[in-house]
Amino acid sequence: MDSTLVDFVKALRTAEVEVSPAETLDAMHCIDIVGYKDRQFLKNSLALVLSKNVEEKETFTELFDRFFTVDKFQSALSEDEDSNDPASMSDDDGEFQGQRQQSGGGQGSGGGGAEASEAAEVSDEPELQPESKLGKMIVNDDRTELSIAIAEAGRATGVNEILVFTQKGLYARKIMDHMGLKELQQEIGDLQKTGGNPRIRLAARLKKGRDALRERVRDYVEKQFFLHADESGKQLREELLKKVKLSNVERRNFKDVQEVVFKMAKKLIAIHSKRRKTFRRGQLDVRRTLRQNMQYDGMMFDIRWKASKVDRPKVMCICDVSGSVSNYSRFLLMFLYSLAEILPKVRSFAFSSDLGEVTDLFEHSNLEDAMAKVMRDYGNGSTDYGQMLVDFKRHCLDDVNNKTTIIILGDARNNYGDPKADILREIYDRAKRVIWLNPESRSNWTVGDAEMAKYAPCCHQTDVCNSLAHLERVVSNLLRSTT
Amino acid sequence: MTLKNESKLASVEVIQQNFEELHYICSLQIATAVFLAYHLEKPILIEGPPGVGKTELAKTTATMLDVNCIRLQCYEGLDEAKAIYEWKYGKQLLYTQVLKETLNEILAGARGLQESVTKLHDFGDIFFSEEFLEPRPLLKALKEEAGCVLLIDEIDKSDHEFESLLLEMLSDFQLSIPEIGTVKARPDKKPLVFLTSNNTREISDALKRRCLHLYIPFPDADLERQIVHARVPEVAEKLRHQLVAFVQELRDMDLKKVPAISETIDWARTLILLNTEALDPDLVRQTLNVILKFQEDVETVEAELQGITNKAIRES
Repeated sequence: MDSTLVDFVKALRTAEVEVSPAETLDAMHCIDIVGYKDRQFLKNSLALVLSKNVEEKETFTELFDRFFTVDKFQSALSEDEDSNDPASMSDDDGEFQGQRQQSGGGQGSGGGGAEASEAAEVSDEPELQPESKLGKMIVNDDRTELSIAIAEAGRATGVNEILVFTQKGLYARKIMDHMGLKELQQEIGDLQKTGGNPRIRLAARLKKGRDALRERVRDYVEKQFFLHADESGKQLREELLKKVKLSNVERRNFKDVQEVVFKMAKKLIAIHSKRRKTFRRGQLDVRRTLRQNMQYDGMMFDIRWKASKVDRPKVMCICDVSGSVSNYSRFLLMFLYSLAEILPKVRSFAFSSDLGEVTDLFEHSNLEDAMAKVMRDYGNGSTDYGQMLVDFKRHCLDDVNNKTTIIILGDARNNYGDPKADILREIYDRAKRVIWLNPESRSNWTVGDAEMAKYAPCCHQTDVCNSLAHLERVVSNLLRSTT
Repeated sequence: MTLKNESKLASVEVIQQNFEELHYICSLQIATAVFLAYHLEKPILIEGPPGVGKTELAKTTATMLDVNCIRLQCYEGLDEAKAIYEWKYGKQLLYTQVLKETLNEILAGARGLQESVTKLHDFGDIFFSEEFLEPRPLLKALKEEAGCVLLIDEIDKSDHEFESLLLEMLSDFQLSIPEIGTVKARPDKKPLVFLTSNNTREISDALKRRCLHLYIPFPDADLERQIVHARVPEVAEKLRHQLVAFVQELRDMDLKKVPAISETIDWARTLILLNTEALDPDLVRQTLNVILKFQEDVETVEAELQGITNKAIRES
């Protein structure tokens, strides 16, 4: 049964519940105590051991039901078939009897003998057993045995490595092959060829059994697909989304992108929320040491070292929301706001020519609404970086100090207007860091009306930023440089 | 582990019953957690909104097993001196003063620094022995002869460093004290550890991995009625139905802090004091501050008070 648990853990992992080997071991101990008898009890117990937060618990519940109902479902299916089968068998019999009557009617007086011989044949029938293993199973009609055989074949063919849905047919065939389909086919062929009523009847029965079996294997593969591949397909898609240019992300994928962003943000939070203090080893903090040791009569028992608290960066984010860049701004803002836990002070501004603060908007409404409103209020008009800088200077330059990081996201295409790089210089002198993120590739930074050549010297850092992977790197660096 | 009242942990149903006798009504999930914690010898990390009975679970377990409940309340800046052990500096100082004479006697006749130090060494580290050790909750829990329940409350309030400090304790039930060595719990009397968290921050994976993870959500109406009945038996059935329905209704609203079970119980007690037999909007308005703790929440609810009250009365 251990391998079942391991399979289950594997399915959990594909569903993004992170289960460590140690937890798997715990689960095994747990099963030793709990046993498999009480389903609810087992579920509750495993939920305690394997899932470690609320979302994981939900996934767990769902997956547990799906994973451990396989057997139940099959038995239900076989019950169905059981109830069907006698009916179909009696149908057959009915037909058969009909034939017999017909033949009886046709043969008239000689009927008696014929009937007797046929009766003999009927009584012979059970003794005519198929020779292949699979055939025997079908004829014996032992559902559990069949289910087990399917599961075994599934394991042998590695169905839990299924990745995409187009593989379903392939795996179904593989499993059938493994169960001995070939021999069965051979046998059916032989039986049909050699002829004779009982043989043909047996062949028909085997055929029917084979088709039912095929159906069941397909079901099995389907279920395995949902357990093992559905999520990994998603992971594949997410990996892809991280690399694709954000302006090329289609609207229908926005939801996925959001999910990816939240995941990335969560990761960053986990990494960066750890240390709030750095200890400067070896520097005695005289004041704190004295204070601490007052209780020991001034004896220096307990020595304190200097430590400095790490301030979270104060981020001001200025986003160009003109058409070409708006998608990048959207995701950058989304990123910054998902980091609220470790970046408590984010102020954001949007502009295409006039600058406006949109912090409240993003804090209080969801991303779609906020973005729509921002686009409505600031999105039109031609880009004017000069005006933006003038506005910024007027409104917020006073709030910029040596702890502020300023991120500007834009393509620096200024429609040949005055770039006013001197204002950016001023900001540069005041702020801790000025980071310019440009969605265009570096080679285009000075082509046409792009003013990057003038702005770049007034930034601490300039980066190409056009995919989620880039965004993640930028934000991660932002956090690292301050911790 | 063998505790003296082990039979009370024999099965999930038994635990549930025993809890019920102590007026703690719990779901199957919670009883399962206690059962497994005991049999797998693992700590339980309990998460959930405030006021659903996380701390109460630990206390009730202690009462049920009739062992001590040792509590460590976490806060920012909690360190090992407060959580594990501390040297009794004062006592050490006092003793050195008192023993000055004796020390002189011992050192008499010693020639040179080298010899004195050697002589002193013969005494061993008397000043750093268990005599001078002040055990704090974690160490106390390990030393408890009869086994105990260790409650580490609001672990999310402590620093990350403190979490790492707990790891040794939680996985091996031992603590290392440099001057003395490793202190281990008696293998058959390991403490039953409960950690609670209000989820103000994510607990590290290393800690989570070592624990069973139990999430206690708000109870459904049925369970909550049972709880109110167990805690405030004086409440008449009709009123009980009404007030639970009302609170359940509030939980669906968009509030800064929705009322938890503890608030429901407080409210039930209040209503008893006021000799209430049935809810009515005026009464609710007057007692709303028992279940809602923010003025803005009170205002939000007051606006819809009539509707909610009527609904609650109708439902019950």
